[in-house]
Amino acid sequence: MSSFVLEASGLVKSFGQTHALAGVDLRVRTGESLAIMGASGSGKTTLLHCLAGIVAPDTGTVAFQSGAGRVEVTALGERERSRLRREAFGFVFQQGLLIPELTAVENVALALMLNGMPRARAEEYGGGWLAALGLAGMEDRRIGQLSGGQAQRVAIARAQVTGAAVVFADEPTGALDSATSAEVMRALLDSTTGQGRTLVVVTHDADVAGRCSRIVDMRDGRIVGERVPAGASAEAGA
Amino acid sequence: MIGRVAWLLARPGTGGLAPLALPATAFAIVTALLLTVLGGAQSFWSWTDDMGVTYQALAVVALVLLVVPLSSLGGAAARLSARRRDDRLATLRLLGATPATVSALAVLESVVLAVVGAVAGVVLYFLLVPLIALIPFRGEPLGLDGVLLGLPALVGVVGGVALLAAASAVLGLRQVVISPLGVRTRQDAPKLHWLRIVVGLAVIAVAFGMMAVLQVAGSAMVILAMLGAAFGGTIAVLNLIGPWVIRLVARSQARRAKTPQRLLAARAVLESPKAAWRQVSGVAMTSFMAVFAGTGIALLGSFGEAADTESMLLFADIRTGILITVVGSFLMVACSVGVNQAASILDRADLSRSLGMLGMPTATMEAARRRSVMSPLRITAIGSAVTAAVVMLPLTGITIIVAPLSLAVIAAVLAAGIGVVWLGLVATKPMLERSASV
Repeated sequence: MSSFVLEASGLVKSFGQTHALAGVDLRVRTGESLAIMGASGSGKTTLLHCLAGIVAPDTGTVAFQSGAGRVEVTALGERERSRLRREAFGFVFQQGLLIPELTAVENVALALMLNGMPRARAEEYGGGWLAALGLAGMEDRRIGQLSGGQAQRVAIARAQVTGAAVVFADEPTGALDSATSAEVMRALLDSTTGQGRTLVVVTHDADVAGRCSRIVDMRDGRIVGERVPAGASAEAGA
Repeated sequence: MIGRVAWLLARPGTGGLAPLALPATAFAIVTALLLTVLGGAQSFWSWTDDMGVTYQALAVVALVLLVVPLSSLGGAAARLSARRRDDRLATLRLLGATPATVSALAVLESVVLAVVGAVAGVVLYFLLVPLIALIPFRGEPLGLDGVLLGLPALVGVVGGVALLAAASAVLGLRQVVISPLGVRTRQDAPKLHWLRIVVGLAVIAVAFGMMAVLQVAGSAMVILAMLGAAFGGTIAVLNLIGPWVIRLVARSQARRAKTPQRLLAARAVLESPKAAWRQVSGVAMTSFMAVFAGTGIALLGSFGEAADTESMLLFADIRTGILITVVGSFLMVACSVGVNQAASILDRADLSRSLGMLGMPTATMEAARRRSVMSPLRITAIGSAVTAAVVMLPLTGITIIVAPLSLAVIAAVLAAGIGVVWLGLVATKPMLERSASV
């Protein structure tokens, strides 16, 4: 079995006249934390969306390797890609984008309920994840009653609760102060690579990227460099 | 300075022109319907004979039935216009704009949208006038002269709509002014006091009492005033009790919800029972009217064929009046559902898109949205019909209310009202699909 959980090859994606991706090849190793860095408009979010099957590239392929076998993500229809995202991937966005009217535990449990788990069990699991992320006692709070860092940890719990093989995070600390940002990043890493899962982070924050095991730099829709942050394990690499 | 900032805020944002067009369209429909109703009533007031008073009494009932929900729809349009911008205005508060500046901006923008919409509504009214003039009452068409309103009435209605928009903008944005963070982070938990139900039941009891003594009331004017107050009061009370009952039911549904769509729907209703009520309050009106129409038609039928020509003409006219009022009410319901749903989808576009990214099927989102409207709708339709039956009881008696013809008309009108809401949901489904697409 390949040790790469994701393999992208020759990804090209344009939006009208804008070339977001201009031929990207990338392999993501199982259990690593990969940071994708670059200026605004460099194509890093589009790359994350292609890897996660959120958008289909114009050309190129993305393959996902799991215990169940190899899946050609780019060959799947919209419905199958939706299902793959729901069952195999987790997502953390900059704003959390949690459902404001649901409580913290309901937001987390919803991810399991969508996969058919009964609500009581889903909330039990969800509560466990919240507690593991330091949010015990806050299960019944509405999202508006949580701080930015707490809300982001609810989003991390939601991304993890389904046992996602890969968690994709798009500027997960973008709206947080530096202390909270470090705290959220620690929670994100502990709950992903700390458990043998894979984390792909899009960020423009060098501190966030520095906590990952590998960094790729993007410019004008291409990967222009790759490095291993100081202190990170040098064994990660494509 | 305020003018310049207002102009900047008026530029289309990521939602395109819809945030501006939606409330303006709603104001246009409200104005056109209001003018149409007033035009029809005006023609009744030109009759000075004995039968004229009967027609005027019926016109008062129809006016109350239509004007109260019209103003509620107008309020919804005004709130929508204010809400579309409250995020940006709250941001201005965070940036240090004074409460006075924020209030002035909110009022200015809402009034401009209301006036633009109202003027379009006047044009729509002029297009409708020839059709309304053809409607026969007392054996002949109402005629253009009868239904065409004068300039003072037109200016008055446009001014009234603008005033309504201004008042709603001030009230709606009070929260932004008091606590900008309250709106930006949506922390406020909805509060609805149980006292609503007490006040509501008291008003219904008073309305019941008024209907019971209507027969012995003195002059025609007193009867007119009592009829108007009883019907108007009951409809207003539905607005008071409705959100409270909807919240009660939604709380229980949220506790028992087993599927994502049921949980999302119940929580969406709980987030703002008032908003959930506003979406379907037109149906409260339709249910109310269903009982009114059903019993009215059955009552007319019970008078038999022995009636003289003049009475037969009156009965035919009452049927026409009921039909017009029901159709008008449906138009308001359709408008209300369409506007509210479109606004709600626009409001939640970012969230819908992110849920789509997470892999939530659009069908689940759509099912939750449908349930969050249809569940309050069921409560509203049944509750309002029962309330109307209670108020009508002293006037018509239980025999008329449960007569097969009454029940048939009530069922048909309710089915049509629910159908209109359903159509409003179906019509906005493509919008949800677009906003959830990733």
